[in-house]
Amino acid sequence: MLKSLNILQALSIFKFKGDTYTIKGSRVKREMTGVKLSGAEIVVEELKTEGVEVAFGIPGGVLLDLYDVLYKEEAIRHILMRHEQCAAHAADGYARVSGKTGVCIATSGPGATNLVTGLANANMDSSPVVALTGQVPTSVIGTNAFQEASTFTITMPITKHNFLVKRTEDLPKVIHNAFYIANTGRKGVVLVDLPKDILAGEAKVDLHPKETFAGYKPNIKPNQVQIKRVVEILAQAERPLILAGGGVISADATVELRRLAEFLSAPVVTTLMGKGAIPESHPLCLGMAGMHGQVYANRAINECDALLALGTRFSDRTTGWQLDQFAPDATLIHVDIDTAEINKNLPVDIPIVGDVKLALSEILKLLEKKRAKKSGSEWEKRIKKMHEACDSCVEDIPREGASVSDILIKEISKILDDDAIVTTEVGQCQMFAAHYYMTRKPRTFISSGGLGTMGFGFPAAIGAKVAAPDKKVVDIAGDGSFLMTCQDLATCVESDIQVVVCIFDNRYLGMVRQWQELFYEKKYAQTGLGVTPDFVKLAEAFGCYAERVEKPEELKDALNNAFESGKTAVLDMIVGKEDKVLPMIPPGGGIIGMIGTERCKHI
Amino acid sequence: MQTHIISLLVEDQPGVLTRMSGMFTQRGINITSLTVSPCEKEGLSRMTVAIKGSESELEKVRKQISNLIEVVKVVDLGESEAIVRDLCLLKVHVKNSEARSEVMQLAESYGAKIVDAALDSVTLELTEEPERINRFVDLMRHFGVKQLFRTGVTAIGTGAGLER
Repeated sequence: MLKSLNILQALSIFKFKGDTYTIKGSRVKREMTGVKLSGAEIVVEELKTEGVEVAFGIPGGVLLDLYDVLYKEEAIRHILMRHEQCAAHAADGYARVSGKTGVCIATSGPGATNLVTGLANANMDSSPVVALTGQVPTSVIGTNAFQEASTFTITMPITKHNFLVKRTEDLPKVIHNAFYIANTGRKGVVLVDLPKDILAGEAKVDLHPKETFAGYKPNIKPNQVQIKRVVEILAQAERPLILAGGGVISADATVELRRLAEFLSAPVVTTLMGKGAIPESHPLCLGMAGMHGQVYANRAINECDALLALGTRFSDRTTGWQLDQFAPDATLIHVDIDTAEINKNLPVDIPIVGDVKLALSEILKLLEKKRAKKSGSEWEKRIKKMHEACDSCVEDIPREGASVSDILIKEISKILDDDAIVTTEVGQCQMFAAHYYMTRKPRTFISSGGLGTMGFGFPAAIGAKVAAPDKKVVDIAGDGSFLMTCQDLATCVESDIQVVVCIFDNRYLGMVRQWQELFYEKKYAQTGLGVTPDFVKLAEAFGCYAERVEKPEELKDALNNAFESGKTAVLDMIVGKEDKVLPMIPPGGGIIGMIGTERCKHI
Repeated sequence: MQTHIISLLVEDQPGVLTRMSGMFTQRGINITSLTVSPCEKEGLSRMTVAIKGSESELEKVRKQISNLIEVVKVVDLGESEAIVRDLCLLKVHVKNSEARSEVMQLAESYGAKIVDAALDSVTLELTEEPERINRFVDLMRHFGVKQLFRTGVTAIGTGAGLER
């Protein structure tokens, strides 16, 4: 009796469009056992159960059944992108801003291969994304059918996990696990490849399964013995330092981080992915460390006697290449959710595998019992001086050696409010932003760290704006990067997504040019981009607001105009053709061997 | 460079083998041998992988393999604490009856079975530790090895049965 009632309910959902939306919208969890549904209906039903509200995608031949169900579905907003790479980046941006799993959809063959860059990017930066791809019918898989590519094998090394679904009845378990795997443990990308006949076929299934994989146990509880050892070290350290990576943000551990830093009076430096883990205006925050980091963030790493590294994988962009300069006198403590990161790039003294938030709370709890809050140490005074030196550098406008790009980023930093979200492309514009943009809240600085994908920032901004429609979203772009994904201006205009693209226009592939200038005797091989296009006209052709900013003084008005236009906007900001991001660690150098420090104040 | 034997318990799903071997490929580690077979639990398979590599290299790849969703368990089997076996089938040339009886004698002393015979050849089967098989094969080369097949190692921990 009960069972048949469930079936009736389920049927009504799909048959009687009119009165079912409220049921769906309210997200009442119904037990559904033994319901006969099509594969496409199962997918959509499970997406809703996972709390999916938005998907970025492009339809195609083998996805007709899925889109036919989405057409009737009001609980899921589908945003039609203009390139699959952008769909993946948008889902990635959405995930980084909201903390929820981003969803992207692409068809078989070229649709799926176009997704690859975006998925690799999200996976490298541990961003939770589920990708749904169409596939040719199971009967013709492996026959070089039209629009066939082996998405399953192509995406295996660039995803956390992937599935090729062979039976319609497997769909509930697969979709549930895709979301579970993507957004637990070390987060990442899960791809589900859906052959056409699996989506079209019907099966009697139990919806909303709880079943998972026996071998997947995201390790979250830190080891108590190790925690005690860490507390011992931190309590005695004279020059403690915290290195915060993207894991702190991803674990929502920013409050705990700040409390620990303040309790220990320990300064905090971040990685690129960790920007926003602590407000960069905080007296204990020394900013980003590494290749293009703050001079004093790097120096603090060199001088500390205990380094607590949280949710970071010690990438070479953070450590430099002379590892004897990286915290040589320090006890190295590494907290990370991923066992495989321990001792991978750097041997550590005390590893803790587990959730950063849990580890920090437990460290704090024991530490507070052990000793009182400490302040007024020599180290604290030193940090204060370091902080002031880098701060005054940020304040000095204009000053000797400052480039137009520096000034523009600092201006943007001043104009935007604390909640505004900045995404970046990759290259000089990204490093100018990383160095000078004051990130004040977590999940407001979105950048392609691991893969370094040019063309990421703009579609990521689309995802960011969809996740946070009330916040201002600005993409800090280079002219080279923006041209790689600018066709999605059409998406913004058609779907009414207002982002502002600030192009740092130097008509060069600037970062490579900078390296050619510094390390290859100014031979600018294939880095000049000529004079086209006219970005203002390009943006206007898409129906966007556009303006050219010739001088830094014009930026404030231009940005205000852009926000007030109510449209997607492009600001073509002319910067110095040979602006350089300095200081930097030269290739092969160490963290105290930065070049271009003449611009920095010394203490 | 030392030979390591890793025993894996994996979900019996299509693609598991590609995923697992891809992990070694990405790190430039060459697999010496690999066997896959059903095990005592339904729905799971056991893989035995023999690889050559340094201790630290192995440690990194072992952790990354544990991270794979379909891998239920990873065990390093040190050679001293495991029973390691390889199965070898080889077809040996015998030019006359003298050679034939010599081959048969040697086979007997190594515990190899004669599984097939033809006028000018004998087919032998030997299940043994890989090192002992190597020695046996070397011996047989004096007579002329026409074909050689080896399954690659499979290994089981000694003692009460629970893998460490």
